[in-house]
Amino acid sequence: MAVVELVGLTKAYNGAIAVSDVNLKIASGEFFSLLGPSGCGKTTTLRMVAGFVTPDQGQILIDGGDIVDQPPEKRDIGIVFQNYAIFPHMNVADNIAFGLRMRKVDKATIERRVREALKQVGLVGYERRFQRELSGGEQQRVALARVLVTQPRILLLDEPLSALDKNLREEMKFWIKGLQKQLGITTIYVTHDQSEALTMSDRIGVMNKARVVQIGAPTEIYERPADLFVTTFIGHSNLLDATVKESRGGSVGLALGDGITIAAPARSGLIAGQRVKLVIRPENILLDGGDDSMVRLPARIDAKVYQGALIRYQLVAAGQPLVAEVQNQAQKAQYEVGGSVTIFWRPESTEALPIE
Amino acid sequence: MTIAPAAAQVASRPQRGAPGLGRNRLWLLVAPMAAFFALFFLAPVLSLLADAFDKPRPGSVAPHGEFVLTNFQRFFHLAQYYNSALLTIEISVVSSIVAAILGYPLAFVIAKIERPAWNTLLMILVLASMQLDGVIRLYGMMVLLGDNGLINGTLIRWHYLEKPLPLMYNTFGVIVGTVQITLPFMVLSLIGVIRSIHPSFEEAARSLGASRWRAFRDITLPLTMPGLLAGMLLVFALASSSYVVAALMGGWKVWTLPIHIFERISNSGQWQFGAALSTILFLINISAVFVYQIVSARLTGGRT
Repeated sequence: MAVVELVGLTKAYNGAIAVSDVNLKIASGEFFSLLGPSGCGKTTTLRMVAGFVTPDQGQILIDGGDIVDQPPEKRDIGIVFQNYAIFPHMNVADNIAFGLRMRKVDKATIERRVREALKQVGLVGYERRFQRELSGGEQQRVALARVLVTQPRILLLDEPLSALDKNLREEMKFWIKGLQKQLGITTIYVTHDQSEALTMSDRIGVMNKARVVQIGAPTEIYERPADLFVTTFIGHSNLLDATVKESRGGSVGLALGDGITIAAPARSGLIAGQRVKLVIRPENILLDGGDDSMVRLPARIDAKVYQGALIRYQLVAAGQPLVAEVQNQAQKAQYEVGGSVTIFWRPESTEALPIE
Repeated sequence: MTIAPAAAQVASRPQRGAPGLGRNRLWLLVAPMAAFFALFFLAPVLSLLADAFDKPRPGSVAPHGEFVLTNFQRFFHLAQYYNSALLTIEISVVSSIVAAILGYPLAFVIAKIERPAWNTLLMILVLASMQLDGVIRLYGMMVLLGDNGLINGTLIRWHYLEKPLPLMYNTFGVIVGTVQITLPFMVLSLIGVIRSIHPSFEEAARSLGASRWRAFRDITLPLTMPGLLAGMLLVFALASSSYVVAALMGGWKVWTLPIHIFERISNSGQWQFGAALSTILFLINISAVFVYQIVSARLTGGRT
């Protein structure tokens, strides 16, 4: 159990900035995800923590002590790789025992702890198997057991689910999260998959172009994205062009076009006349059941996509296209293409964000 | 190495429902190769075997079909011949070990260097050494290692030595020459294998507490062992059958099997005995392949 703190972490490769001034504080026992598109610097950040990449600047503090100058083998950090890196010339038991052997633990203890670790990951009876005899999910369990048996201070997971098929991925998500909770081990999880990050994390750090652009709990990241990048990267969003009419503390009046003006929450700093995007999640647009506290707009239905549990309507409102997703419930009316509807949304479920 | 998988691919293609060899006359494509192979490899090898078991007739090449074991009996009765086989094996084994020890670090560095420019430069150096004909390179070695060569000459001139060190015209010289000739083969066969090992294996070992050296010894080295053994087998085959190196660096004082074969056939016209010696050299190399298979199966736990 350890507190991890990254202070001003920076790394460039041949002049190209890979990680720029990353500052994070991860609490003891926390499940923290670094989420971002490929090339955003999340893996480089993880590799700096693991000790495979030397930062150009900054500190990596574990329980207050800087580990930047320590080689990987002295850091006491467990890492699970995307390809699991199960040593192919050793059987499962020897793979798991590897870290203990390096720590010169006596033979009897190694045997006992390997047994316990196998039990923990549900692979009792797999001792003599080799990597080529294991499925992807089993390899991942071995990789986790191999790391956890050494009782590392921190657990690093580098896209551990991306090599698995979809069903197994869903199952492993909950399994890993459960194991992490049970052990209470501080965990940094790197992924480009927003659904993994949203389901598993206590907090998420969203990265883009070598920087951390937002840190927060999954609900915060999803419902209050810091900028247009986060809002489009996490889930789907409608982005409506708008111009600020008036700005008063925490709220703005927006001109949407077609002479329509609405109110929306906004962070400070927006000034009248500024062009912004109004962000609305498709599930927050209602086609019926609106009340007076909501924004209401006339709209036309352009297209309708049936998705089973959901129906997705492509709409035009205030001269701009937008998408609404509606639960497909038996008692709900369905709307036909070409028809006119009134759409509603709660002002607080939207936000005006400046164009970068 | 690369030959086996390629052959397997070609062999399995017709079974996959792709156009069969017969139906589309694809076999016509391999016909020239097959004819070449039959004419210039199978025929000589068969006539070699026929000669080896034929009655000795000095000056006569054509097999007469008189099956005798005289030639092999002669080999096993005369110390100069069976000792020559042992010497050939010794030189080949030592050369392959030295080539492995020298080649591995170089291959490792080339495989690990990430900068394309450095990588290309080192590869060019390795390949360039293969572009120059072996004989010319060996003459270069002679200039270096001879009694009046650069090393001995300098040491004597500076009065570190009274008599020249025996660097050439002995087993040592032959081994040095062999290693010089075969090192690029070793390095090239290792580079591919070392590159194919994903860095995450070594990194996983490091973060589990292994020092750089332990990670290399326990992970990288065993994983690259198949390539190392294949390279050693290659060096062994090249070393054991090399006439040029033994002749130039051994100066007809190091009697390896190829020297004996050349001498018996060219100087004495003893084709049948020469063929028997060649057969024994061939068997030595076949045995090396078996040893390679056994060692590699044991070291890699049956992993391929």
